[in-house]
Amino acid sequence: MGVMEQQVATGSPLIALLGNPNCGKTALFNRLTGARQKVANYAGVTIERKEGSFTSPAGRALRVLDLPGAYSLSAQTPDEAITRDVVAGLRHGEKAPSAIVCVVNATNLRLNLRLVLEIQRLGLPMVLALNMVDVANKRGIEIDTARLARELGMPVVETVAIQAGGETALLHALDRMNLDSPVQPQPLSSIDAVPVEQTQREVRRILDACVSYAHDTGNLSEKIDNVVLHPVIGPILLAALMFVIFQAVFSWAEAPMDLITGTMEGVGSWIGGAMSEGPLRSLIVDGIIAGVGGVLVFLPQILILFFFILILEDIGYLPRAAFLLDRMMGGVGLSGRAFIPLLSSFACAIPGVMAARTIQNPRDRLVTIMIAPLMTCSARLPVYALIIAAFIPEREVGIFNLQGLVLFVLYALGIVSAMAVAWFMKRRGGGTQHPLLLELPAYHWPHLPTLALGLWERAKIFLTRVGTLILTLMVLLWFLSSFPGAPEGATQPPIYYSVAGMLGRALAFVFEPIGFGWQICIALVPGMAAREVAVGALGTVYALSASGDDVANTLAPLIAGSWSLATALSLLAWYVYAPQCIATLSVVRRETGSARYAWMMAGYMFALAYAASFITYRVALALGGG
Amino acid sequence: MTLAPTLTTLDTLKVGQSGTVIHLAPTAQGGADVPRRLMELGFVPGERIRMLKRGLPGGPVAVKVGESTFALRKFEAALVSIQPE
Repeated sequence: MGVMEQQVATGSPLIALLGNPNCGKTALFNRLTGARQKVANYAGVTIERKEGSFTSPAGRALRVLDLPGAYSLSAQTPDEAITRDVVAGLRHGEKAPSAIVCVVNATNLRLNLRLVLEIQRLGLPMVLALNMVDVANKRGIEIDTARLARELGMPVVETVAIQAGGETALLHALDRMNLDSPVQPQPLSSIDAVPVEQTQREVRRILDACVSYAHDTGNLSEKIDNVVLHPVIGPILLAALMFVIFQAVFSWAEAPMDLITGTMEGVGSWIGGAMSEGPLRSLIVDGIIAGVGGVLVFLPQILILFFFILILEDIGYLPRAAFLLDRMMGGVGLSGRAFIPLLSSFACAIPGVMAARTIQNPRDRLVTIMIAPLMTCSARLPVYALIIAAFIPEREVGIFNLQGLVLFVLYALGIVSAMAVAWFMKRRGGGTQHPLLLELPAYHWPHLPTLALGLWERAKIFLTRVGTLILTLMVLLWFLSSFPGAPEGATQPPIYYSVAGMLGRALAFVFEPIGFGWQICIALVPGMAAREVAVGALGTVYALSASGDDVANTLAPLIAGSWSLATALSLLAWYVYAPQCIATLSVVRRETGSARYAWMMAGYMFALAYAASFITYRVALALGGG
Repeated sequence: MTLAPTLTTLDTLKVGQSGTVIHLAPTAQGGADVPRRLMELGFVPGERIRMLKRGLPGGPVAVKVGESTFALRKFEAALVSIQPE
């Protein structure tokens, strides 16, 4: 790659990557910096600030900033406002970059060049990176780069961000630039000195002079869209796709999950056999291995879900799904754009809430944020998976697996409820129509290294959580569940007398009407920190409360023996709605700028959870599920 | 002399039908400057555009402008006056 591993001082010149969405800017950023990236937030907002560093072929240390994608400097989203403020040197705590690398999609210069002309008016040193030039060549689009450089008055280089070495020309161009004497950008008003129409005429003139579409074979996207966006076939395809994903999450994950469970049990019994009886053995085997293992086992399912989301995102399907769903979403007062944050929320509500900033209208954005946690996040999956495995028989219903079908119903329930809440909020807010203005980019093949990198990041985030937050909570919970010990002549298992037992029994008074015993209530307490912790906590509760030494037994048969079906269904209903995630609530507070909405969210979700569980439990009892 | 064909708005184009942008109606809806953004994306007077796909009745439309495809809600598309072909 010609990029050396080297510590870069923070004083080295900063260049900024700037471009339209879908121009391959982030891939180019990854290509330039490799793993040398710092991801943080811009001060005061949760917009990701990605900075990296690299060394140029001439040995110059450079820092590079990946600015959020923007169509224009007359910003209409918080993302675009950040980009505008950073390049104009107006962002508090950020210095204007020494140079701008304008990244454009070579197959779509008509759209991309206008932004380049606009940025140029700021007077900063610039270089144009003609990205995806390989795709343009394949399609027969011929670009005269020398002429383009003359017309624009800036260096023009060809890049292929997804190919090793595809950044070389850019590196050499940067070496030829003077980056050491920073230039003060012109005021933003210089952008509006030329009307939009005139800039577009200039774009046309430059394109006519530099680009030949004579041999353009067009792209397949239109033909694919004839099927994918078809008013009847499109939605059926979307529904089928979602269904396949959820079935895959269950069936593909089986083997690796068994492997993890087996390994953890093996480790547990080996340590259990090697150590002498005592509190330390109990802490390690019952607290840490049983608790953490019970959460770790869901890594395969989370990775499979993300695998699909990342692929759909990469090939360009997600905006199509937004197009298909806009009519329905519009009916409940949401924008089709809300589809992307809501889909991300299936993995985790936190990136979902953050992705809502691509929605221009503040009200649309707020509603999207408020319903994001109703989408079934992957942290609920462990809880669902456990209860389904314990209570729903593994049986084929037609071509479907009954367990998969129940999971599908739970997901559907979350979606329907979210739509109902959105509709309710829209009715109360009164509604005008809001713009959609969504680009449907050309389809392309998924780029496997990027996909692998994305999955690795997800795995890292999950494993870090397991290793830090969840581990800590497990240890804490073990202490709460072990002390004080049982009194002389106790008739109940020891945990009953512990601090956790007391707390659980106190809560059981509140949750008894919805069928939760004290064991479940104990698990709900640490589950506030992270939903999946509840599973580990149940493991701890049951491993500790069991009288015999049956720690090695898996949790599912254990709860199958001690809960009624009505209780199990009630707990499933609870988890569809419950605001059991402090991290989400804190992100909502940050994103909306006030604690009010976080409290509102917690309140309405708790009320829904209690009501849904109550109805489920009572109906199940009446139907003989006791 | 032929009669000038009637102007229409983008949302009324049939699937596959092309037209030329004549002008954009100003609006201040939702605080966002929609016509300006439309022009930035390529919907400028004189530009030839094509209706690619219509969703469900009342839903968004997919429009080809230049090399790009954009999904617009009906009311957004209605801001664009078109000379149909």
